[in-house]
Amino acid sequence: MTYKNPSLRLVIIFFLLFPLLSGCWDSQEIEQRATVLAIGIDKASNKEEAQQSLGGITHFDKSNSSEPEEELIKVTAQIAVPGRIPLGPTQGQSSHNSVLIVQVVGHTIQDAMLNLQQQVAYETFLGHLRIIVLNEKIAKKGTQRFNDFLRRNPQIRRTASLAISKEPAEDYMRLVPELQRIPSLYLADMVDNLSALGRFPPSFIGLFWTILSSKGQDPYLPYLTIKDKKSIQLSGLAYFRGDRMAGKTSPLEIGFYMAIRGVGRGGYSAFIKVPGTDEFVLVKAISRKTKVKVKLKDGKPHVDIKVRYESEIEEKTSQSIYINDSTIVGKIQDETSKEVEKSLKKLIVKTQKAESDIFGFGEHVRATYPKYWTKEIGTKENWKRVYKDITYDVHVDTRIHRVGMKAK
Amino acid sequence: MENHREITTVQAATILISTIIGVGVLPLPLFAVRGGGSGAPLVTLAGIILAAIGLFILTILGTRYPQKTIITYGEDIVGKWIGKMCSMIVIFFFFILSALAAREFGEVVVSAVLRETPLEVTVFVMLLIACLSVRYNINTFAYIHNFYVPAILGPVLIIVAFSLKNANPLYLRPLIENDFYYMAKGMLTISALFQGSFIVTMIIPFMKNPKKAIKASFWGIFISGGVYLLIVIATIAVFGTEEIKQIFWPTLELARTTALPGNILQRLDVIFLAVWVTAVFTTLFSSYYFTIYSIKQMAKLKDHRMLSFFMMPFVFFLAMLPQNILQLYDVIQIAGRAGLLITILYPAMLLAMDLFRSRRRRKKSDVQES
Repeated sequence: MTYKNPSLRLVIIFFLLFPLLSGCWDSQEIEQRATVLAIGIDKASNKEEAQQSLGGITHFDKSNSSEPEEELIKVTAQIAVPGRIPLGPTQGQSSHNSVLIVQVVGHTIQDAMLNLQQQVAYETFLGHLRIIVLNEKIAKKGTQRFNDFLRRNPQIRRTASLAISKEPAEDYMRLVPELQRIPSLYLADMVDNLSALGRFPPSFIGLFWTILSSKGQDPYLPYLTIKDKKSIQLSGLAYFRGDRMAGKTSPLEIGFYMAIRGVGRGGYSAFIKVPGTDEFVLVKAISRKTKVKVKLKDGKPHVDIKVRYESEIEEKTSQSIYINDSTIVGKIQDETSKEVEKSLKKLIVKTQKAESDIFGFGEHVRATYPKYWTKEIGTKENWKRVYKDITYDVHVDTRIHRVGMKAK
Repeated sequence: MENHREITTVQAATILISTIIGVGVLPLPLFAVRGGGSGAPLVTLAGIILAAIGLFILTILGTRYPQKTIITYGEDIVGKWIGKMCSMIVIFFFFILSALAAREFGEVVVSAVLRETPLEVTVFVMLLIACLSVRYNINTFAYIHNFYVPAILGPVLIIVAFSLKNANPLYLRPLIENDFYYMAKGMLTISALFQGSFIVTMIIPFMKNPKKAIKASFWGIFISGGVYLLIVIATIAVFGTEEIKQIFWPTLELARTTALPGNILQRLDVIFLAVWVTAVFTTLFSSYYFTIYSIKQMAKLKDHRMLSFFMMPFVFFLAMLPQNILQLYDVIQIAGRAGLLITILYPAMLLAMDLFRSRRRRKKSDVQES
């Protein structure tokens, strides 16, 4: 009867749908959000530690040792100021106020983020976090304690970047680059584009974790420095022993590293002495092809690396030499191969000393000789010990295909 | 029993596909890796084959009794009372399965997407949608599944394809890593993810051509199994086995790591979650549908509409029982493996008895003739 009445039905439906208008639990206005764009992590100084013990908010009581034993860290966060981030190209605006910089101290990242929340009125949001800068000193003490929070939190992107800095990470957060209006985006773009330009192997936080977890490889990260207090420079590759940073390479060695890893896109150039003269030419690697083979020699792994370069002569330093026939190009090719071979070996020796297998030879061993691996190695620690004195062969083959538009 | 035979072979296959692909996609690589290390694809393949065997047994039974479902022919084969008992166990199992699927869905949503929304609300809403949809007849059921299959398969394949950019083939070797014991356990867990395929027994009586049910089953398990295998291979190639052990839902993480070229979308988990919600819905829909229709058939009810609402609070209550996600996954794995007894062994037993009896019957008639 009343059930069949259509208008009554409508009224009931209307009232049933009414509560839905309030939206969901998770709705949050964008300007009510403190969007963290970048984080820099440093070791806390003594003064800041004292501050923390006064204003600590995550431990119950100082006296009954409810404090974690980890060293305190100082987290500097760059927070986007809502409405100040310009969308289109506007002219003549300084970027100074588009971000807010907040500094907090904590035992872990989350501890610091909670402290940060005490200072910021809006809820912090990490979904747009593009880059995390770790100071060298902190990285040398181990990164594992940061990974837990970053893995657990669903807001963090796996494609965010992680970089190591020579200077305090705080400086990177305060740096104002001229090329981009939002400082942290410039920093993030810098790290992202480096691999697109062939200046650095692919590197993002998810990859860092993947490599860190795998038993036969150690992770690597870009190593940044600040030049003239103004611009950021990629000045090497930080290699790790387990989760601790073990050392850094020179920028050119990044290229050699990419060669051994078999990253196809070349980008680095090097001066090669033309045989028989004192002059140099600049040879650029266009692309590489790498074959890594692992064999068991007398029950010990032996690595065979074959790299083939496709190169190009970019410049010569003097008018006195001519690059006009294929014999001289052939000589340059051989010289390049020799030089590169030497450098590759040097790089491997360097990482062997640090017990840091950034090349992933261990993964090759695990994949090709599973029986040997489970019997003799099995763990990451053991592999490091074996890696320290594995033998290897390096063959480099360079082909120079192009010399540019100049005939001489 | 009057049957409108309207379901085509393609529809039957799509019902199977969208029923099988469900909540299980998310932890699938984790289960596989726990079982077989870098041999996970092999474990997955073994799981798929085991599930396929179960499905074929059920389909053959169905084609032998094209008018009936396992609830009704079960009574014919083993006798009324034992049959009823077994049917009750089957129904109860699918009842639990519906509850677990709803809870797992809620758990993922709460910890990955809508963190402020109460778990009860997400689970309740999902159950309510399933409940409302179950009220319609089997044709609507077929149409809903048919409609969603492309929307489920497409994005999953896209994610897998683009994720291979970060792949490292070394992670997939060696092919056999773990002990046989762990591999067998992993195989059972994975094959339990295919239990939704039991719905085929409900479809056969409504198929236009029940003889073609075998074909539908084959394509159903082939496509869904293929998708599962692809997902396992892709996640392992991208993350490696050690990293997978560290994350609950490697498939979701895969979508989060994958970007469309040209930065159109920097992370694909948005698309993936949208797809996944539909996939969960279709799975839940099927298992709840099975529960309700089986009760209807067993109790010989005329109408199932009220029953659908009547059962919902019980499913909801059951879904809320596990304390946390760790306990939930323990329950899911144990229930899944135990469920294989119901979804594979029980039909196998029925088929064996049926074959045996029909042979005896034939022999008897032979004797009488001669």
